[in-house]
Amino acid sequence: MTKKSEEEQKFCGNCGSHNAYNYPEEIFCTKRFLENKNPVVKTLWHCEDWHLNPQKCQCVEDVTKHEKR
Amino acid sequence: MDQLIQQFKGSGSFGAGRLSVACDIYERMVRDKKCTIFLGLAGATVPAGMRSLIADLIRERLIDAVVSTGANMVHDAIEALGGHHYKGHWLMDDHVLYRYHVYRIYDVLVPEEDFIKLDYKLAGFYDEIAEENKGKTLSSSMFARELGKRLNDQNSILRAAYEADVPIFLPAVRDSEFGYIYYAHASRRGFQNTLLLDAFKDVPEIIGICRRSERNGMIIIGGGVPRNTIQSAALATKSGLDYAVVITMDRQETGGLSGSTLEETVSWGKLKGNADNVMVIGDAMIVFPLMVASVIERIGKDFERARPASLGKSK
Repeated sequence: MTKKSEEEQKFCGNCGSHNAYNYPEEIFCTKRFLENKNPVVKTLWHCEDWHLNPQKCQCVEDVTKHEKR
Repeated sequence: MDQLIQQFKGSGSFGAGRLSVACDIYERMVRDKKCTIFLGLAGATVPAGMRSLIADLIRERLIDAVVSTGANMVHDAIEALGGHHYKGHWLMDDHVLYRYHVYRIYDVLVPEEDFIKLDYKLAGFYDEIAEENKGKTLSSSMFARELGKRLNDQNSILRAAYEADVPIFLPAVRDSEFGYIYYAHASRRGFQNTLLLDAFKDVPEIIGICRRSERNGMIIIGGGVPRNTIQSAALATKSGLDYAVVITMDRQETGGLSGSTLEETVSWGKLKGNADNVMVIGDAMIVFPLMVASVIERIGKDFERARPASLGKSK
């Protein structure tokens, strides 16, 4: 995998801390909640703590489709 | 509705006969001014749509105390906060549901986001309750009351109970989303100054109600922990229950309480030997609304039932 394609896959929607909030655009980040930060973030956003622990869900795919429309 | 139940009574057979007996017993409980009526809720009663029916029974004082699984009150709070339960199908592909963050309860669907919105909101409620109580430990009924105070929905069971000052006991409160929300609330506070809940604190509360009541009756949907909580409280009065209606589809052979017969309950001393009792084998989502409709028709719209003395003065 190239460095660029790895970067493209860094989405909150792919992270192990995400839960559906306003599907598919926004997710609830458990990590941010525990840090007393606003836990509701964009599915296609990501923070420095991002790590790939895929949820095998549709969030990123669906929000990408929505944005292309 | 009552005409149909009377026809069932005429038949007297099988499930129809048992349902008509259940209606007669519930009517007797309602008309008995010295009886405290406990409703036990297990299984997915609220997701299946019985929420407003139970809230109405509380407001009309046709139920005096509720003992429920935590989960039923979780689902009540989900609806109160704007979430929904949707009609699905028991043959839906659960792998697909998982990918779309949708949970299935037989043929009812709940989006994960409604649970997450509940978690977020209730974690804030837990913070408030912890601040207000400053280290004081709550019983589950006090906790349910605090939640009801903060929910603004007339169809909510928790809200109706708060307004009518009817206790809701949640003996297995941690075995539900309420337990997970505690973890989220406590983790965010570094486990300092958290909401404190003591399940043992319920015991003298519910036994006190049974003791102060001249007669006690229970209507059980399902069984499990809620049924045993009521029965054990009645046993502690040394006399057992006077009325019992159990609606279940479980079997007795497993030894589990949800299927155990009321004769078995007599052997424990939790139900009086001469108590009015019946076990209706059927889907409570069908049986219970029929029972309620029939009894409401019998007592008429002008019937009023007072708050039983066993509950003490209203707060």
